[in-house]
Amino acid sequence: MFNPLDHKGIPLDDQIRNWRELNVEPIDPEAVDPYTRCRIIAMNGIEAEAIMFSHQFARNCGDDDVKRQLAYTRYLESQQQRVVNWLLPGQASVLETTLGYEQVAVDLTAWVARHEPEPYLRQAYEFGVLEDFDHLYRYANLYEMVERRKAEKIVDGLTEVMPGRPTVQEHRHPFDEVRTPYDKDLVDPRSKLHALTILAAEQQVMVYYMNVGPQYMEPIARQLYQEISLIEQEHVTHYESLVDPGESWWERLLTHEYTECWLYWSFMEQESDPRVKAIWELHLQMELAHLQSAADLFRRHEGREPEEIVGGSGLPEPLTFEPNKEYLRHLLATQMDLNKLGEGYVREAHERFEWMQQQLHAGEQPPSEQVIEQHRERFGDEYRIETEGPHPVESLRAKEGGRSA
Amino acid sequence: MPDKVPANDAIDLLLAQHARIEELFVLVAGSAGDTRREAFDDLVRLLSVHETAEEELVHPLSRTLPDSDALVDDRLAEEREAKETLRTLVDGGVDAPGFDAGLLLLRTAVLTHARYEERYEFPRLRAHVPAGRLRGLADAVRAAEAFAPTRPHPGTESAAANLALGPVLAVADRVRDAIRDASS
Repeated sequence: MFNPLDHKGIPLDDQIRNWRELNVEPIDPEAVDPYTRCRIIAMNGIEAEAIMFSHQFARNCGDDDVKRQLAYTRYLESQQQRVVNWLLPGQASVLETTLGYEQVAVDLTAWVARHEPEPYLRQAYEFGVLEDFDHLYRYANLYEMVERRKAEKIVDGLTEVMPGRPTVQEHRHPFDEVRTPYDKDLVDPRSKLHALTILAAEQQVMVYYMNVGPQYMEPIARQLYQEISLIEQEHVTHYESLVDPGESWWERLLTHEYTECWLYWSFMEQESDPRVKAIWELHLQMELAHLQSAADLFRRHEGREPEEIVGGSGLPEPLTFEPNKEYLRHLLATQMDLNKLGEGYVREAHERFEWMQQQLHAGEQPPSEQVIEQHRERFGDEYRIETEGPHPVESLRAKEGGRSA
Repeated sequence: MPDKVPANDAIDLLLAQHARIEELFVLVAGSAGDTRREAFDDLVRLLSVHETAEEELVHPLSRTLPDSDALVDDRLAEEREAKETLRTLVDGGVDAPGFDAGLLLLRTAVLTHARYEERYEFPRLRAHVPAGRLRGLADAVRAAEAFAPTRPHPGTESAAANLALGPVLAVADRVRDAIRDASS
């Protein structure tokens, strides 16, 4: 398998791009492979995390030479983020990009869950994915109400749109969001890459929603973004707590760069748009040099070899955007009613959960329920895409007058 | 299937038309032969109805709001440009060489224009024009829609009805009359 530690990449001094190179032609606003959009959104989240992580590192670092080195690489990562995110076309609305974000959250998390070697971590992903799956359904209904368009246009039948674990049930006491971290010395290196990837993706979703939500005038849109952005915040708590806090800053930097190599390499392998593929390839070549730089810092400051952290056998299987319909239906049928208590999972509604529900809902329906109700009032049904048959959970099947694509 | 969406105001109807225009572009781009010809006729007719409705109802209303002349002028310029491309495509027909490239050009222009309206024009109208007035204008938009293609997919029945309406580009004058009757 490709081992990024064996490659030098493009020298750091040759990586700064000029305006012409930064001014990328966006993807087509209509005729696009939905998973190309997903790869752009996912990669944007990873680059945004790389930038914010580097800022945090710099704020906790007393060595001016290291700070300068971090600042330089961070500038390169910033240019990468601008190029990647600027591939999104200006014609896309906020809600269309939102549907893309949720498609990423669903199919990325489902893939990671299927490939996670550690059962305890796999459970964390399986739990989370059913919540994002529900968000996709809520936003799809909002989309038809506000823009009169159908989410089918965005997800293109690759991802189903129907209720997941109802968003109303996702608001728990923040204490119960905190998980037990993996042990950095015992865990499979793949698990480190998975945790960082999903953490970065969810963090980007949170930041996006908490900032774009107030751009809407429609009260239901403003309220739904407010509600779901609070859930995404809890997802960040959920996923970040999986990461071992005992990892040193040098170790974390190494894992960040290694994860970026893994993702650019994965996306390069599967990209259907040749122009976008060329960007993944270029960025991989850039990341290889970032990784070398991080590996040198790690060796110098820890006196250890990077292979001890990320393994010596090269990158794992490429992360792939692909339909996960059967897997998701299986999870819906078996884990819909799961809840969290302490660091574990339970099926009953416990006291702390009920307390939180009362504080937040205060006897009213949350926006995520109102959006479906308003859609039914205005359109006579709710928006779903059920390509593989009726919903696996009988109580969540479309009511009379339901319309399925 | 009849459109079950209850339209609350003129902007709701125009948004729904944007969505149908986008769908028709996809249909034309992905089809061939008679299907493509019919889909393209539908598209041309709907574009004509839609733009006429906007020119007669929406843009004049926007001009009544402060500092909106430049914004409306930009939208009208985009519409004029799109009409030029459209005319070339209609004159050449769907079998003409370069139709695909021209269609893509038109689609991007129309899509961009529609998004400008949705982002900068419609929200201002919703914010500043009384809701009752926008609901009232819906009748005039519906009067215009009577000239739009009725088939969700190409079919003989409504094709005959559409044919009776005459050449596709000539529909604009009749739409304009219908709108003026409905608004007076």
